[in-house]
Amino acid sequence: MPVVTPRFIDHAWRRGCDFIVIDLEDSVPQHLKAHARSLVKDAIPKVSKGGAEAFTRINHDSVLADLEAIVWPGLKRVKYPKTEHAEEVRLLDSIITRLERERGIPPGTIEIDPGIETALGTANIFEIAGASPRVREFGASTGGYDYSRDLGVEMFVDFDQFVYAKGEAELAARTLGLGVRGAPFVANTTGSVSDGGRALLQAEAARQCGFHLGGGGLNPAVVESHNQGLTPGQDDVRDAHWVLEQHRRLIGTGETWIEVEGRVIDRYEAARARDTLEWAALCAERDRQKAEAVARTRAEMAKQDPAALK
Amino acid sequence: MVPAADANKVAQARRHNADAITLDLEDGVAGGNAHARDGVKDAIALSGRGAAEVFVCVNKSSLHADLEASVWPGVRGIMLPHVESAAEVTDASDIVARLERARGLDPGSLSFIVLLGSARGVWGMRAIITASARISQVGLDEGDLARDLGIDPAPEYDPFVYARGHLAVEATAAKVGAIGMAYPLSALPREMPEPDIHSLATKARNLGMKGVICPYASWVAPVNAAFTPTAELVAWNKRVREAFAAGVAAGTAAVPLDGKMIDVPVDEWAIVVLAMAEACAIRDAEKRAALSR
Repeated sequence: MPVVTPRFIDHAWRRGCDFIVIDLEDSVPQHLKAHARSLVKDAIPKVSKGGAEAFTRINHDSVLADLEAIVWPGLKRVKYPKTEHAEEVRLLDSIITRLERERGIPPGTIEIDPGIETALGTANIFEIAGASPRVREFGASTGGYDYSRDLGVEMFVDFDQFVYAKGEAELAARTLGLGVRGAPFVANTTGSVSDGGRALLQAEAARQCGFHLGGGGLNPAVVESHNQGLTPGQDDVRDAHWVLEQHRRLIGTGETWIEVEGRVIDRYEAARARDTLEWAALCAERDRQKAEAVARTRAEMAKQDPAALK
Repeated sequence: MVPAADANKVAQARRHNADAITLDLEDGVAGGNAHARDGVKDAIALSGRGAAEVFVCVNKSSLHADLEASVWPGVRGIMLPHVESAAEVTDASDIVARLERARGLDPGSLSFIVLLGSARGVWGMRAIITASARISQVGLDEGDLARDLGIDPAPEYDPFVYARGHLAVEATAAKVGAIGMAYPLSALPREMPEPDIHSLATKARNLGMKGVICPYASWVAPVNAAFTPTAELVAWNKRVREAFAAGVAAGTAAVPLDGKMIDVPVDEWAIVVLAMAEACAIRDAEKRAALSR
């Protein structure tokens, strides 16, 4: 969200987000860039009040000034737009390393997320993704505005324009052992950024393709859809337990697989089931953290100004 | 694309309103090569009477002789088929440079359109398309590629999603224009009703292609239309620019418009589309004027 729009920043903590991106880049008018920078330090604790991690998207061409303004305790990740070369990531790393030291932030904790939004970025994607140990999560995000402009294509068509670029990103991320975001193609022919139904389909498709992480959205109306779609459902959890139960029947038999109700159960299916259960537990834990943070914040607000809570 | 040996087709080519005419010394003129070569110089002059840029598609197997026959005033560039290595490009460029000097053409003025029709060519794309500043466009020859990969293409299943995606990305990264039609006409070209050609050419544009090689004159009109911003797009992008400017004036560069989100790249793209619409109008006027002359 644009850091220059106070009502977005002030209410963001109530939305149930896992992370919130404080934007200095394309949603901020050029003449407000300096003002925007001055707002980030206060915005970080504000958006984190509901348990969300605070990210900041900086500008491609004012790295030093932006990093000086945003690297403060509480910042989790720097999003760097339109990354095209590994050197850009290394430069960010060296500046962040210095600022962490100067500002009492545990070294190496602030992550870098190099956004791939151009063809040249895709051409250099493996070097970019591996350019710094601060890159821990990588891959396609939901947008495509910059990438579309670079390729010279109209967005919101009914076929996948970015299947190659997304594939390259996923291969790089998985090869390097990074957390991987993915966006399987789900048509959005209206260009709506607030369609919760479509967002749910998108997030469910991502989960079904084995992705655990989302890239976020542009409107609060899609937050719940993303959270829900990327969390294993009760059916998935029940099925995972069932698979593991069937797999246990193989113990001591010398067999490597068993067919039950038309399904083959082997160690790969078992591994997938364990992954689902682990992921479901992590999601539950994250939901608990967020609920706690919200409760804490509400209690503090009630103490300070009971009228503000309504 | 026009077979250089077909005098009738060459004579008609400039009337089809194409932006470029490529005189083909290659496919379809087997055995008739020497004869076709003899006629290229005149065919270039004839094709150039309209407003179309004139290219010649040479043979890999008779590169020297074909280039000798083709590098004349009036030719805009050379189409190189079946390219598999950067060395082929630099070799061709050296020959063309010598001919440019010998025949009084501006050095470096001829551009190259490179076609890749093998796994090796696709794999080596980056080295190939950055091998010479002459390269202005690159495309896949999907018929050749299918043969090279042992694929008998079926219209229902696109075998070249990866290769075409690689093409769009590598070409854009190298600032070279990717060209090509959408599947299945990309691999199985044939004549079809205009709306079908238009729809697939629009798809090609929205996959990052900057143009289409038309094997049939009947493709030209719908392809031109597909690559020209529609009145609807022009109207929308004017609204985008207005809404964005109003948003910036009010302190935000993220502006909602008809449920869409307008920010910097959307405004930048609107500038491109509006400029493209103007450029197309100018080009169309040029072509009309040339035709009436």
